[in-house]
Amino acid sequence: MPKSLFVDPAETRAPGKITFEDIPVNVYNKTVKEERKRFSDDDLVRIYRDIAILREFESMLNLIKTQGVYNGIETTYPGPAHLSIGQEAAAVGQAYLLDKNDFSFGSHRSHSEILSKALSCIQKLSEKELMDIMEGFLGGSALRATEKLGKVDDVKELAIRFILYGTLSEIFARSTGFHKGMGGSMHAFFLPFGIYPNNAIVGGSGAISTGAALFKKINGKQGIVVCNSGDGSMARGPVWEAMNFAAMDQFETLWESHKGGMPILYNVFNNSYGMGDQTRGETMGYDMLARIGSGISPTQFYAERIDGFNPLAVIDAMERKLEILRAGKGPVLLDTITYRYSGHSTSDQNAYRTKEEIDAWREVDPIITYRKSLVDAGVAADGKFEDILAEVKERMTMICKAASDPQISPYVDFKADPYVVERTMFSNEKVEKFDDREPEVSMPKEEVPAYKKIKEKSRCPIVDGQPVSKMKLFNLRDALSEVIYDRLYEDPTLIAYGEDCRDWGGAFAVYRGMMDAVPHCRLFNAPIAEAAIVGTAVGYALSGGRALVELMYADFIGCAGDEIFNQMSKWQAMSAGILKMPVVLRVSVGSKYGAQHSQDWTALCAHIPGLKVCFPATPWEAKGLMESALKGTDPVVFFESQRIYDVGEQFHEGGVPAERYEIEIGDVNKVRDGKDVTILTVGAALYRAMDAVKELSEKYGMEADVLNIHSLVPLDYTKIVESVRKTGRVVLVSDACARGSFMSEVAKNITELCFDDLDAPPVVVGARNWITPPFEFDKYFFPQASWILDAIHEKIVPLKGYTVENGCTETEQLRRLQKGV
Amino acid sequence: MAKAVIMPKAGITVESCIIGTWEKKVGDQIKIGDILFTYETDKASFECESTEEGTLLEIFYKDGDEVPCLVNVCAVGNPGDDCSALRPETAAKEEKAEEKSAEAPKVETAAAAPETTKSESGKTAVSPRARKLAERAGVDAADAVPTGPNGRIIERDVRELMNNPHVSAKAEASSVKESAKAEIAAEAEYEDVKFSNIRRAISKSMHASLATMAQLTHNSTFDASEILAYRKKLKASEGALSGITLGDIVLYAVSRTLHNYPDLNANMIGEDSIRLFKHVNLGVAVDTPRGLMVPTIFHADEMSLLEISLAVKELAKECREGNINPDKLSGASFTVSNLGSLGIETFTPVINPPQTGILGVCRAVDRVKKLDDGSIGIYPAMGLSLTYDHRAIDGSPASRFLKELGENLERFTTLLAE
Repeated sequence: MPKSLFVDPAETRAPGKITFEDIPVNVYNKTVKEERKRFSDDDLVRIYRDIAILREFESMLNLIKTQGVYNGIETTYPGPAHLSIGQEAAAVGQAYLLDKNDFSFGSHRSHSEILSKALSCIQKLSEKELMDIMEGFLGGSALRATEKLGKVDDVKELAIRFILYGTLSEIFARSTGFHKGMGGSMHAFFLPFGIYPNNAIVGGSGAISTGAALFKKINGKQGIVVCNSGDGSMARGPVWEAMNFAAMDQFETLWESHKGGMPILYNVFNNSYGMGDQTRGETMGYDMLARIGSGISPTQFYAERIDGFNPLAVIDAMERKLEILRAGKGPVLLDTITYRYSGHSTSDQNAYRTKEEIDAWREVDPIITYRKSLVDAGVAADGKFEDILAEVKERMTMICKAASDPQISPYVDFKADPYVVERTMFSNEKVEKFDDREPEVSMPKEEVPAYKKIKEKSRCPIVDGQPVSKMKLFNLRDALSEVIYDRLYEDPTLIAYGEDCRDWGGAFAVYRGMMDAVPHCRLFNAPIAEAAIVGTAVGYALSGGRALVELMYADFIGCAGDEIFNQMSKWQAMSAGILKMPVVLRVSVGSKYGAQHSQDWTALCAHIPGLKVCFPATPWEAKGLMESALKGTDPVVFFESQRIYDVGEQFHEGGVPAERYEIEIGDVNKVRDGKDVTILTVGAALYRAMDAVKELSEKYGMEADVLNIHSLVPLDYTKIVESVRKTGRVVLVSDACARGSFMSEVAKNITELCFDDLDAPPVVVGARNWITPPFEFDKYFFPQASWILDAIHEKIVPLKGYTVENGCTETEQLRRLQKGV
Repeated sequence: MAKAVIMPKAGITVESCIIGTWEKKVGDQIKIGDILFTYETDKASFECESTEEGTLLEIFYKDGDEVPCLVNVCAVGNPGDDCSALRPETAAKEEKAEEKSAEAPKVETAAAAPETTKSESGKTAVSPRARKLAERAGVDAADAVPTGPNGRIIERDVRELMNNPHVSAKAEASSVKESAKAEIAAEAEYEDVKFSNIRRAISKSMHASLATMAQLTHNSTFDASEILAYRKKLKASEGALSGITLGDIVLYAVSRTLHNYPDLNANMIGEDSIRLFKHVNLGVAVDTPRGLMVPTIFHADEMSLLEISLAVKELAKECREGNINPDKLSGASFTVSNLGSLGIETFTPVINPPQTGILGVCRAVDRVKKLDDGSIGIYPAMGLSLTYDHRAIDGSPASRFLKELGENLERFTTLLAE
């Protein structure tokens, strides 16, 4: 909604038509003879060698999975093998021109993409560069394991063994794998060659690779990004969201710097099947996949269909597309036709296709046709290729033997090191900035009007005994803004985006006025595409930057489910700690807006291993936690309640400090001392709990010990246990629907940790297990002060003279449970 | 109206006491402060003073009965007062009656809490916290009047029971014990005597000591000329100084010597660790009519010889009179047992667990030795027997302790000056 762009009714309503450029389909028609001008004979033969290595690698896996033996080596493994036998020429052709500065991301079927990119890099890098990379990776441990395969003088040969062995032992879940076996077949990668994670979620790399391209674009990094996927992924919303994100007009129309298109190639290895469904003709409507670029951008994504069974056709297309990308005109889409002979997985019965179809493709298998074309053109004698195949097989046998040998390739020993996975769940580092260059800003921080306004506010709600007016009071929103300003001026890689973040200042004004401080490339409006917002942040962070993104309402977490629950949370551990994930995801818990805009979904996020979860309820907590989150290296889901953006600091002595400080994520905020009952709160429920606390004290002579849980994961229970041991009684209050809420989890832990000290069961007071009714009926749905008193009276200790208002007897509780409400 | 006198609680860990002998009988006039009966814990014996005034109407427990702390023992009031409600048996019955009548539907709100609440199931629930408190306080949580939700006995109910004890369900069990005892008495010819609590404690502790520790004893002697001469001087002096004994002198020397041997001034914790004390807390074995008792002189290393002497006398008196605070009967880091006055020349003291050492002090016997001028002289040789736990300390350091202790005693007046 920038004012600079005029939405002209005359132009908008004017008649006309949309025209399209032709989309090329398999236009490559050169012969090997012609191509010998472009390629040396060695290059042409090496292309064949690479195809053969890929074919042998997956044929080996196929034999191991189906027969438990490869070339006399008896071995097997229980993990997945999504093979791409048949697709090798397309992979080799794609990788041929790419180097280590180009990032590639993949899918669940990416062995060939990984290996071909590695082989291409090995060819391009000097021996010294290769040795440095191998020595530097995991402290040289992978190289040491490779050296056990036998002495070899040729560094390139050593590097080939290194990459094959590292990949295979990763697939075999061995500690010598590139990620200590913690990623496996569907998550193997090797960053030093620009080989980024492949992904077990179909289309999962769509937004992540787009975020990597955003990182390259904003931070001026060399190289382009290739997002590889299969044609099945073209049906997935997040992939469309990502492609639209990459094609946003604002890169040209609004950005002051880093103008131009995103350096990303969406390459689809189109084998006609999404597992068993046939995309063209059955589940999709595009007829030809290359068409879809035209649905997103006037550039039509420079899409074309190319013949992936001819490696030279793929190289030809890549050369042209790289030129477009390097000129800042991306994104680009390639519909790379190929075919897989192997099943989706080794349990595939091929019920969805005929033998005739497979045989017809086998007849044009590049391993036969490309070899023949080289022989026919006189590039090499046929015997040369027999030699290559023999050499490939010999090497692969050696690799397989070593990767299966528990002496050379041991499993991670969980008994000897029970913390092996635990250690990588969080990186727990503090990083001031991810790059040393000056942050790109529009004016000095001290001159930014909105920032100055925040600084002038009163940090205490009461000054000289007088309450400060709402407008002059430093509130929770200001606390968040202040930290974000500070961090934007420190970490040049930090970018913030989300729905309506820039001109609007965020729906709840946390970014108000911040557009004066930083250019578009550091604060911009994202499309209403939650999957893309979170997914790109994941890609941005794992490429080396820091991202602060916002989903406006916590209820939209569902729209970014895969990106939050599978991607943001898991890559640190799946990479055995090699990748970092400095993403802070702000989500706002609504009120007044009914059933789909008022939900506290902290429990969903807290359930997922690998996410840190915060929910500050006071300005002091908000500032300290945001400071921690924006300096850390872990993914944080940062909940904020719309009910309390305006509150001043009522609990912390002296109000919110003007200076910088951090609150350790995991701490608990003790807001009141008492001896009779412990009240634990999460989020805005703190303030209703404090009303109950007042009544307890004034009418019933009970003093409550109140602790606000501002960090849900991790959570140090020390203060909680201490309080419950003291009082023996505990009520847990939050606005989340009570069933399966985070407070239920806390109650469970308290029961286990403090059982003998409990004078009554821990009682969770949460919202009803209903839809949120309209705001007018809030008091029937969300916990109120009286509910807390009811809970104490009915379940913990009867209060003298108290009349239950909204109670829940055992019979009623059982009825509700039985009805599921 | 009749009022009850309860079995007092003689220490935080004491759960029940045994009645020694009743000093009063039913019908006697009682004033507040009159001694009603004696009772003993596993460590000491006490006298129970009346908290009520009037006629002793009924005695609920007899000599030798074990009574839970804070439970009614007898009733005092005006002749003719009904004291049935105070009887522990009656209380147990009432409790049951209440449980039966509790099947009525639950009242929606407990309007006048903390009124008694009732459970729907008829079972009496006790909160874990209330149960733990009751265990620690030595009361039966089931005796409490429930005021928690749904008839649950909660912490405040147990506290109420501790402050205002009423009746116990345990009395029935006691009367059964009583009849069993009567049967045994009919046998005659010999007498089976049940150990007193103190005897039981000694038995348990001494057996545990020998069964679980690696104990051995070293014996040595030292020339007691100097301390005997010093003691003679003290005896001739005026006032408290004249009461200082040889035993006190040894205690003083021990308190000043132990610092160099931390492993002997210690307690074993489990099998694999040891608690080293910063001060010397000396246990002193005292013979009492009820058996061996070992009160503690805390921080003996900071006391003068006279202070130690006075402390020993006071503690021994309290032990013999049976009114020692149970807290003074534990916490020692090392023990001294003096059998010298009983003519013992050498013996094997048994360690008081979890301490790591005990010193036996023996009588002095005349011995001859070669004097500096080559002639033969007679001197009083006093025996010291050190038993130590070989798990905590080895033979050489233990021997060095004995040697240093002997040397300190031989130059005692110099030691006093240090």
